Amino acid sequence: MSGNTETTQSTDPQQTPRRRGVAWIITIVFAVLILIPSMLGFVMKFMELIHLTQGETDGGFAITPVVNYLLASAGFFFMLLWAGANGMFNDLEKPKYFMLENESRLDELDNYVER
Amino acid sequence: MFESKAGILYIAGIGFFVLAFVSNALVPALMYNDLPEQTVEELINSNLRYQFEDLARRYPDSFKEAYGESPGGEAEHDAWWNEKCAEALRYGRKLYVGEGCWHCHSQFVRPVSNEEQRWGPVSRSAEYQNELQRPVMFGTRRVGPDLSREGGRRSNDWHTVHFFRPLDLSEGSPMPEYPWFFDGSPDKPNARGLAIITYVQWLGSWQESYPYYEDYVPSRERPEEEEDAEADNEDAAAEDDA
Amino acid sequence: MSEALNEAVTTSHEEVKSSEELVDQTLVKLYFCTALTFLTVAMLAGLLMAFQLIRHNPLRGIELFSPGRWRMVHTNAIAYGFLANGFIGALHWIVPRLTLQPVFSKKLSWLIYAAWQGVVGATAVGILLGEAQGLEWGETPVWVDPFAQLGLGLLALNFMPPIARMKGPIYVTLWYFMAMFVWTFLTYAMGNFVPEYFVTGTSAGAVGGLFIHDLVGLFVTPLGWGMMYYFVPILLKKPIWSHGLSLVGFWGLAFFYPLQGIHHFLYTPIPMFLQYGAVVSTIAVELVVTTVIVNFFGTLWGSGSAVKTNLPIRWFYTGMIFYFLTCLQCAFQVTLTFQKIIHFTDWVVGHAHMVMFGVFTMWIMGMMTYLFPRLLNRGWYSLKACEWHYWLSTIGIAVMSADLFLLGLFQGWSWAALEPWDASVEISYPFWILRTIAGLSMFAGLLVFLWNLLKTWTSVPEQTAVADVSNAATA
Repeated sequence: MSGNTETTQSTDPQQTPRRRGVAWIITIVFAVLILIPSMLGFVMKFMELIHLTQGETDGGFAITPVVNYLLASAGFFFMLLWAGANGMFNDLEKPKYFMLENESRLDELDNYVER
Repeated sequence: MFESKAGILYIAGIGFFVLAFVSNALVPALMYNDLPEQTVEELINSNLRYQFEDLARRYPDSFKEAYGESPGGEAEHDAWWNEKCAEALRYGRKLYVGEGCWHCHSQFVRPVSNEEQRWGPVSRSAEYQNELQRPVMFGTRRVGPDLSREGGRRSNDWHTVHFFRPLDLSEGSPMPEYPWFFDGSPDKPNARGLAIITYVQWLGSWQESYPYYEDYVPSRERPEEEEDAEADNEDAAAEDDA
Repeated sequence: MSEALNEAVTTSHEEVKSSEELVDQTLVKLYFCTALTFLTVAMLAGLLMAFQLIRHNPLRGIELFSPGRWRMVHTNAIAYGFLANGFIGALHWIVPRLTLQPVFSKKLSWLIYAAWQGVVGATAVGILLGEAQGLEWGETPVWVDPFAQLGLGLLALNFMPPIARMKGPIYVTLWYFMAMFVWTFLTYAMGNFVPEYFVTGTSAGAVGGLFIHDLVGLFVTPLGWGMMYYFVPILLKKPIWSHGLSLVGFWGLAFFYPLQGIHHFLYTPIPMFLQYGAVVSTIAVELVVTTVIVNFFGTLWGSGSAVKTNLPIRWFYTGMIFYFLTCLQCAFQVTLTFQKIIHFTDWVVGHAHMVMFGVFTMWIMGMMTYLFPRLLNRGWYSLKACEWHYWLSTIGIAVMSADLFLLGLFQGWSWAALEPWDASVEISYPFWILRTIAGLSMFAGLLVFLWNLLKTWTSVPEQTAVADVSNAATA
């Protein structure tokens, strides 16, 4: 692997506007396909949960796991914000280049040639 | 923290694992803490004793070879039977595990999918709180039927022939044969054969509905119920091995 | 982006040892060959059970060939014989090359190799003698457990120092591996000791569910994805689409995956609110899986033709598609509505095969297709045979899982309809026959691969350059 510049360029979106437009349409289509059924399912289940908690005497028990998950998720969300504020995600992408560079140097030392 | 090695080791590696262990394993363990764990000796009931003694009557030579003979004296006699029955149960469970029976037969009745009608009462936690469910034998697949209500449904003779060659009794059964539970023929079960049959006859023997037959309603306990169950009552015996 | 690259290059110009010093290639080869041996044994065991189910078992009534015992050999040989050996072999290649540090001790590596084969061998012998432990996927006899535990501890001891010595931010592959060393050790201890000695009944069921789940999610999955994050960028010659997104995948797996153990025992007497919790986190992890899949297909974007020309890449991405399907299936089948029908049916068997063969075996096969030529310093004897291996395996697993999913639904409905039990067995036969044929196809793929490997091994090594399967496949 001699030309590292080439490899990085390939991730650069050197795309024509047309291709970008296609990608945009695909994204929208997928988003709609996924979001509509999942929102529908979520709202239905949410209504069910509300009925459950109001109806049965021990229906309140059902919200226990939900509350647990909300609390735990909130904790992690704040930890994430804190980590981000402390600049922990500034050079997040560095290791992926470093790894490829290592590999090519090792291959050179091995005289490994790809046809 | 999120990017450091210590973060990965402590938060992801240990922290999350422990969180899951506490919520998924420790919570049920604590919830059932007040249910005492029964030993095998405590599990022996009269239904099981009947089946065990029936084995001794049907296969006296095999039984004597495996367990010897009961000493005289009424108290000793009873203690001896219980001791041997416990021994058979422990060994039977070891065989049940070692032969992989639990990969084709489950031991729990779910509250859904009409299982209550097919197998009998839905499983409860207390049923599993004993030495023979360590680790628990819930099972993962039902190639053959569920066995948690199997005790007493079929005779010991049926079981010996079935273990020897399942196809003779259950047409089309994919169950393997177990000739090593016998000394050559189905009327000569060896220690292993006697033990596994004792174990199978134990399953469900603690139930009030023992032995559970599909569609069978005991007549004494429903004095003013409708008559249509009467018909079911009569052909229960014919249907029991369906 | 080029700025980041320059920085990476400048910081990394320390002295580099050659890979011969770093990687113990003989050991890697040995691990791979052992893994293939156990895979062969495991598949033969699976075939025995398949033939038993269609009532054509040629070895009926022989104690040592009892299908029940060989079924346990089948799953255990896959977990501890094939997957563990294949992955440890991969670790010996990947970790030193990623960290540029050798393992803690090469002697220890060999000791671990020998000890682990002892553990797997003893497990097989113990199970065949009827000494299995009543814990699914942990049927290792109780007297083997402490040794296996020790082996896992030594493994962590051997691989952690090179990672610890590394400076600067570490690559996602190593995140997965680091966590895996801790998880596997803890999971094995939990599953094999807690339900045997400490808790009983329903609580033991909860622990057993957690064990079988964590063995997939915290041992096999992190190793598999760690491997993918390493090999895919190297073979495609471009970095992973987003390193940040890959860390989302890692943390999502770490948090949500262990919480799901109980979903294996829905409708058991385990408290219902815990079952709901397991269901919720299973659906949550599906979202995490999607980020990982998006990341890999983002990487492939723009070089999609590699799937046609580059055989290892094709194995890897086929595995990923199966992975996505399996996880999508998880999100559905974990709901109580689905569970009513599919629990205890062949659907579950199909699911397990799709994960273990369709995903992880495929990844290991792809890795071997890439690494054997490098390790042996010569090209594949027959690239056509490599293609046959791929197609026989892929078609085999696709047919098998589709067949078993369908059968599972039929069985579940038959049971719910209170048909006589025999009816559910009767309808299964045609499906079981098709499943056996699919299994034979997968096994034939393996045989082709073994033949090809043997031929390659005995051919003359190339003097100058190592042939590369990735591009040679087109030639």
